[in-house]
Order: sequence, then structure tokens, then C-alpha cells
Amino acid sequence: MELHVDEQFSEIEKLRAELLANVDVMADWQRAEEEISHQEILNRIEGIILGVVTSLSKDEAPVLALPNRSSWANVSFDSTIGLQMSSRQSVVTIRSDCPSSAAKFAQILKILSVIYRLVQSNSYATKRDIYYNNTQLFGSQKAVDSIVDDISCMLKVPRRSLHVLATSKGLISGDLCYMEEDGTRIDCHSSSAAVSVSSNISGIKNIISAAKFVLIIEKDATFQRLLDDDFCTKLSPCIIITGKGVPDVNSRLMVKKLWDELHIPIFALVDADPHGIEIMCIYKYGSVAMSFEAHSLTVPSVMWLGLLPSDLQRLRVPEDALIPLTKRDESKLSSLLERPYLTSQPDWQKEMKLMQQSKVKAEIQSLTAIAPDFLTNIYLPNKLRYGGWV
Amino acid sequence: MVMEMQQVLRLIMQMAKQRQQLGLRTAGGLLVLLWTDTGASTQKINCTVAAAGPWCTGIQIEALQLVLADLKDSMFPCVWPHHEPDPEELSAFTDLYGSLRLLLSFQVKDTSHCSSEWQARIEAFLRTFTVANAGIQIHLKFKIKQQTSQREFRVKFKRKVALADLLLTLDVACSAPPLWCVKKGCWCERGHPAFGGRLPLSIPPQAMDQGLLGDLSVQLVTLLSPCVLPYPNVATELTRIQNTSNIPVTGPSGFFQTLPAALDCQEMGLDRIYCSTFKDLVYSGGTVYTVEKDSWDNPEQESSLPTVQQSLLLFFFLQHSDPFTSQLTDLMATEVLIEHHLEDILNKNRQAVTAALQAELRNTLKVQHHRKKQQEKLHAAAEVILSSSISIVSSSSSMDFRNACLNCMKVHDTRELGASLRESLWRVMSWKFIPRARCFSAKMEVHPENDDPTTAEI
Repeated sequence: MELHVDEQFSEIEKLRAELLANVDVMADWQRAEEEISHQEILNRIEGIILGVVTSLSKDEAPVLALPNRSSWANVSFDSTIGLQMSSRQSVVTIRSDCPSSAAKFAQILKILSVIYRLVQSNSYATKRDIYYNNTQLFGSQKAVDSIVDDISCMLKVPRRSLHVLATSKGLISGDLCYMEEDGTRIDCHSSSAAVSVSSNISGIKNIISAAKFVLIIEKDATFQRLLDDDFCTKLSPCIIITGKGVPDVNSRLMVKKLWDELHIPIFALVDADPHGIEIMCIYKYGSVAMSFEAHSLTVPSVMWLGLLPSDLQRLRVPEDALIPLTKRDESKLSSLLERPYLTSQPDWQKEMKLMQQSKVKAEIQSLTAIAPDFLTNIYLPNKLRYGGWV
Repeated sequence: MVMEMQQVLRLIMQMAKQRQQLGLRTAGGLLVLLWTDTGASTQKINCTVAAAGPWCTGIQIEALQLVLADLKDSMFPCVWPHHEPDPEELSAFTDLYGSLRLLLSFQVKDTSHCSSEWQARIEAFLRTFTVANAGIQIHLKFKIKQQTSQREFRVKFKRKVALADLLLTLDVACSAPPLWCVKKGCWCERGHPAFGGRLPLSIPPQAMDQGLLGDLSVQLVTLLSPCVLPYPNVATELTRIQNTSNIPVTGPSGFFQTLPAALDCQEMGLDRIYCSTFKDLVYSGGTVYTVEKDSWDNPEQESSLPTVQQSLLLFFFLQHSDPFTSQLTDLMATEVLIEHHLEDILNKNRQAVTAALQAELRNTLKVQHHRKKQQEKLHAAAEVILSSSISIVSSSSSMDFRNACLNCMKVHDTRELGASLRESLWRVMSWKFIPRARCFSAKMEVHPENDDPTTAEI
């Protein structure tokens, strides 16, 4: 039975109105991306090299101090931003005279020299390009990825301003059209095939969308299922996006972009397990590793649509579709409950405590145990219609 | 002359060893005076041995006299009544070490032994004594045919180690690396002995026939010199091996001379090890080997990497125990037997001793290889650091930045800057200094057996 569009989106419109009211009191700098000039970036890189030369002139081994991006002690929580790097942070020292760290020191300087050339010549390269230009030096793509983020944090410059691009992992589909920086027009309306998230989010312009909401989907399998079930047509107008698990920076930037441009509710559809909740928190509050760029990556207004632990009881999901929590799950759940951002989310805490008590988890796919099309035709439409989010 | 001297010293050493086993102090002095008396027709050599200090406190002189009387009867050639030594010599000795605990004098009539060779043998014998008794300072003085020469065996750094039931004081002083490459005073003057396994030895039949019974074993202890522990990034190269023992080896040892041929140099990454000339053997009191490394792989890199050449001192500590041997004369006789049959003993246990030596060398070289690898890592990183830095400086359009870099290094252009940065970076990387407590502690360390790892550095 087709619902009237107004009825279908009435709760969503109410939510949107609430969110818009809060958006006005938020600081303007949250929406505007700081533009750092090319010259300033070059100056910062030169500052590091001058530091190296100065050390050597004093017969001292050059040392680089990288903000510690893995320590919880270096982040603080702000409800309007999420997890952000503290002004006073501990650093990791990379010495040039120690065999165990000299290679990393060299890798950092190499990538700095690459970035210097890219910014100077106003050209771009991907992280993959950087790795394949010197595989022997870097050893792995992961090393390059990590160092690029370290440099971004050290210079206090967003990665995209360093002219280093990353191939996007995420996919997007729905009521959305935009233009890439090179003039390519992207139309996400296709119901059968999704579009890869752009690798240059900051270059996107002319966004056109009538979407009522954005749905972030944790897993690619679920995303493909919704595509196959023509979800975007049934719940039109909407946008669906997936980061295929832990989202890459571009996927997060895209979600942030959609929020900044459209100011429509953003919902998350994740598995009812600690891992899924953590992924959702990354979109909403950010990560420790990227906390230095929190204001351009986080969307604190993200709502948890499903799969909620309370849904499992309410819908009487068959027991054989439920999975017992492992020790690791329990540990992760306890850790999540202690995170600073959850103190302001009593409804989320309630759901997570329910999961703790029931000691079970479930994937979104468990809903097919009720009916094959339950997810697309019943669960999601009802959730969206009746405000079943927390 | 040498034999008589050895017997007297052996007696004193046995008595000192007994005191060592009681854990008593092993410091003090030993004076050995040899001088000639030109008589009417023959030349006589007088010898005086004097001891002072804690190491000989409590030596029973009566027991000593009894054994000495036996020795005098058995010594060859005949011992004539002796002349007293110069009181001034004794006075200078007692001023240093306190009152004399022991004073023995005897005389030998035989001019054929008055040669520089036997003087060198006596020196080598005394040097052997200091190997395990570094706490005792030895003053050796010759006055032969109006020519006077003197030697002092004085140890700067000592370390007490326990091997089975024996407490030894080792000389662990080592040479300094080239002064141009280290900060003044920032080098370790002492070595750090590394203990190998204790190897039981079979006694050859011919030695058993002559009365050498009981248990015989050898403990290997190695000492690398100079110590480069405070300089973790510098590469090292083993160029010399010297073996020494607590049993005197006064002649060329067939075993030690042919030892290099039995070692697997390829397994250790070495080109060859060869024995030095006999001349060196006599004067050094042990066998000296030269080590050559295969440097065909990367001769250019080899020459550019700073390397400290090291010597490895191999201590062979032979230990004997026999529950039925406790009298001083028997103990001395056993020592004579071991000395006399040392070559037979080593040959009988050739395979085991060679394998033990190979293992010790392998451990030493493992450390060397590790350092080399670390240095290669640094070298590779240095090239990238330099090329990246120069790339940025060269392509910068900021005169302020470029001038700041050039002025820092006091150069005129980026070419000179590159050369200057390279030299400085390589210097700070190679000679990174980390003070180690074990290298700069003022206290003398006492370690139980096998306390240290078999590889000195890792």
C-alpha cells in the first residue's frame, strides 16, 4: 500500500525542522571549510626542512614531532563537533639517528617533498601514485596512507589541501546531482548502479537534490540489497550512501557535504553489534586518528535508525538469526559505553545496555528471517514513517 | 731458568688459588727480580720472588718451605746458595703494597739461559698469571750484564667472575677507538666478558699414564675490544683474535696454529683467518690470528661506512678437579702435567673445542652483522632524507628560506649545502652516543657464573 508522501515523511520533516533550528546556533566556521593558501602550505613545509637543517648545523640528529593520533588522551569531546584534538597533545618523536625510526623519518621527508612539488605545480596525485612511485622505500600502501595523515595533522592542513587524493571506497545513489571540479556532471539517480564517492569532495559544486533524508548504510551487501529492491524509488526522494564498513575520509566528507548543503536528516543503518555502533559513531562524532580534522568530517546530527537492539525484541526476530556476543564484543561494548560522546546520548546508552543484558547481536540480514523483503518494504518505511530512530 | 721460575711461581699461585676459593681478597703485588752475578768463571742468575698484599695473607710459610725444599732437590740445573736482593728494590715494593708476606730467593748457574728469549718467556708466563689474577700487580725487573729492564703488569680495569668453584679477577681494560671519531672521554675503557659454555675434556691416555686423572674442562670467555656499546650505530669489524689461557703455552702450539683451518669461515661470513708469526706468539703470551672479511659485495659502501676495528680476546680457562689430589705438591704436579700435555689434551678434544670456538665466534660476528645491517638502514634513510631536503630547498622560491638554510650550514649554494648536510647527517647518525651504565659505572662488578649473555651486546 503506497503511503502518501506527506504521511511518509511527516516525522522526518519534524526532525528536519528541529535540526535546522539548532543549525542556526552552531558556529559558522563549522560549515565553512578553512582555506589555507598554497603559499602557507609551502611555508609550513619549509619550516620543517629548516628545522632539519638547523639541527644538522648544530651536529644534532634531526627529530620530527608528530601529534599522537592514536591516544585518547589527545582528544576531547564537544557535542557540537564530536571528537577533536586537544590543543595540548602528546607527540610521538621520530628520530633520524635510530635504525628503527630512520626509515619512517625518511618516508615523511620524501612525502613532504612530493607534496611540496604538487602544491607548487598545482597538480594532484593519489596516495596510490605516491606508493607506487617508490614501493621499496614505503613498503606498503598502508605506510603511505598513515604518513599522509600524519603530515596533514603535523602541518594542520587538510589532506585534500596537500593535493593528495585518495581513491574513494564508498558508493552513493539516489536523488542527487552535482558537478565535479573538472566539470564532470554526476547523476546518482540510477536505480541499478551506484556511483563511487568522489575523490575530490571539496571540488564538488552545484549540488542539486530534493532528498528528504540521507541513509548511511554500514555494509556494501545491505546497500546493494536496497539498490536491488529499488529502495530509492520507493522512498523517493532520498539518498543512500555506504562506506563499506569503516568509512574512508572521502565517504565521511561526502556525508558532511550533504549535511552542510542540504540540512536534511541523516540516518544510520548498521548491524546491531558493537562494530556497527562504532562505525556509526565515526560518522557522527569522528575518530581519534582524524580528530585533528573533526570540524570538517563529523556530523553530530546523525540519528540511529536501525538495527536497534530493541527492534530485535519488538519484531521477535527468530532466535536462530541472533548471534551470541563474543568476549571481544562485550569488551568493545563496555569500551563504547565509556566514551565521552555517549554521555549525551541516553537513548543510545539504553539500547547498548539492552544489548549487554541480552548478550546477543544481529546483522541487518537477520530481518530476512522474518520475510525476504522485510527490510525494504516494511522495516525501513515504518521506521521512517513513525520516527523509529534514536 | 724459566722452569725454576715457573715452579716457584706455581707454588705461590696454588697457595693464592686456595685463598681465592675461600673468596678472600685477591689484590696486592708480586715482585720478581732477576740479576746476574759475575763470578770468576761462571755466571750465576739470582732470582727473588716477593709478595705483599691481601692476596698472600695467611700463606703458611712452613708449608711453603717444605715444598720449596722438595723443589730445590728436583730443580735443574742445581740451585746454589743465593745472594740477597737489593734492599732498595724491596723497600720500593713494600712502600706500595705493605710488608712482605713472602720472600723467596734462589740461584741458578747457567749462562746459556741469559737471552732475550727466556726473558720474553718469563714475561709471557707472568702475563698468563695476570689473565686470571688481574688484581695482583706484578713488577718484573731484569739486571743482566749491567743492562736493566723492567716491566709492570698493571691492570686498569678489573672484573671478578666466578667459574665453577673458582673466583677470577680478569683484566677487562680495552683500547680506545680512534680519538678523532669520538667525543673526548665518551668511550668505554673496559670490556664486558661474555661467557661461553663449559666444555668437558677427555684426558688423553698418555697423560693418564703419567698421573693426570680426575675431571678436566675448559670454559671459554670472550672479550671484545674496544667496547662500542655506547655507540649503537657504528659498524664493527673483527680484525684480530687472540687466545690466552690460564695454562701457559710457552711454545708454538700445533693445535692453535692449525685451528684456523678447522674453522668454517664461510659460515661466519669471513674470507679467512690465519695465524700470526711465532715471534708474536712468544711475546704476546698466546696465539694471535688475523681476520679477513670478504668485501667483494659492495666495496664502495664498505669504504664509506665508519667502522671500528675490534679485537677478540678468547680466554681458555682450563679447570681440573680431582678429589684425591689436595696436597700442594700434587696440585703443582698436576699443573705441570696439564701444561706438558696441553697439546695432547687439545688434540684429543679437537672437534669439541673447535665447535665451541666456532660457536663463540659466530655469536660475536652475529652482533657485528646486526650492526652492519643497522648501519645500512641508516645509510639508506640518510640518502632519502638528504635528497628530499635538497629537493625542497632547490625548488623553493623563498629567498628567505633558502638563505636561512645556506647560512645555517655556512655554505654558498645548494650544491655545497648538499655536501655539508650529508657530512653532518652521517656524522650524527654514525656516532650517536648513548651512555650505558655498564660502561661508565665506577664500581667493579661481581657476577655469578654465566651471568652475562653469550653475546656481549644484544
